[in-house]
Amino acid sequence: MADVLAEGYNVFDTSKSPSGTVKYLSSPADVISLIQSGKLQEHILLVRGGTTTFLAPALSMGAIGVITMSGAPESHLGILSREFQTPCVMTAHLTGSDSRYVVGATSDEHFAEIARELDGKKVRLDCTDDEVGRIVADD
Amino acid sequence: MSDLDKVDYDVLNVVALKKMASAPTIAIDTGVDAADVTAALARLSAQGLVVVVGDAALPTDEAEPALAAAASEYYADLRGDPEVGELVEKFETVNSQFLTTMSSWQQIDVGGRKVANDHTDSEYDDKVISRIEKLVARLGPLLAGLAGHDGRFAAYPRRFAATIETIDAGQHDFVSSPTKDSVHNIWFELHEDLLRTLGRERTE
Repeated sequence: MADVLAEGYNVFDTSKSPSGTVKYLSSPADVISLIQSGKLQEHILLVRGGTTTFLAPALSMGAIGVITMSGAPESHLGILSREFQTPCVMTAHLTGSDSRYVVGATSDEHFAEIARELDGKKVRLDCTDDEVGRIVADD
Repeated sequence: MSDLDKVDYDVLNVVALKKMASAPTIAIDTGVDAADVTAALARLSAQGLVVVVGDAALPTDEAEPALAAAASEYYADLRGDPEVGELVEKFETVNSQFLTTMSSWQQIDVGGRKVANDHTDSEYDDKVISRIEKLVARLGPLLAGLAGHDGRFAAYPRRFAATIETIDAGQHDFVSSPTKDSVHNIWFELHEDLLRTLGRERTE
């Protein structure tokens, strides 16, 4: 079995298993330049917030997969990803780190560590499990 | 004084709520004349507050701070209205019920496992739709209170009513489709709009 880099809540079960290079998006400008680059479908999108609504244009333009560092599958972004059938893993944490997201009590370092570890990596999303979505290395 | 006049505020607000919007849609949601929307988008684009890609306008990173600054001026009275404040407190409860209901529209519980709702059980779907309609109805007093301060909020009950009518006529994709003026989209925009109007952050 491939190396599981991170895991979180699986927003919906799907046999779709998109692969691509993780791209960390920190602002609406990042989303706009990604859309304008024409390379949206080469990337698995990584965002910090579970209500990161600036992702909506990316989803409607055909994003292939999403990873968030906070938020729940019942949130707006979860609802959107099910509508677009875009595989989505929420509140992902690194399997190699003890740091976990806690509502209202999460240090910036928690998010920075995930972004640092995943950004630029070639990964595949495994969203077949009922509960857990997995981000696996795809070298 | 804010750098955004009220028409520019209303137009930019809709672009920021939708994250991507074309002039005709903005005209419908703001009640601003189509030609005036186009002129406003040109001004906003020159100020670096929106980027126009094809026929859609997207907000830049500067849009939210500009809106927040303008909202604190335009909505100072509204923020101080205790009646609105009380209605907003109730919204949070209704909102979490709404999110749960929306998820139950998309997924059903089968033996503890969530599976996609294939919408073959019309009795189940009708129950969810009726729950959604009740939740929308509960927004009435809040929307009326907001519209008392700024007429643009009247667009929400108008859009909800039109969408619910469409759903009742059998077009069930108007419940949650992200590409239609669905209940979920309208609700979500209202929530974001409310937070900005009141100068609050999401609790999540």
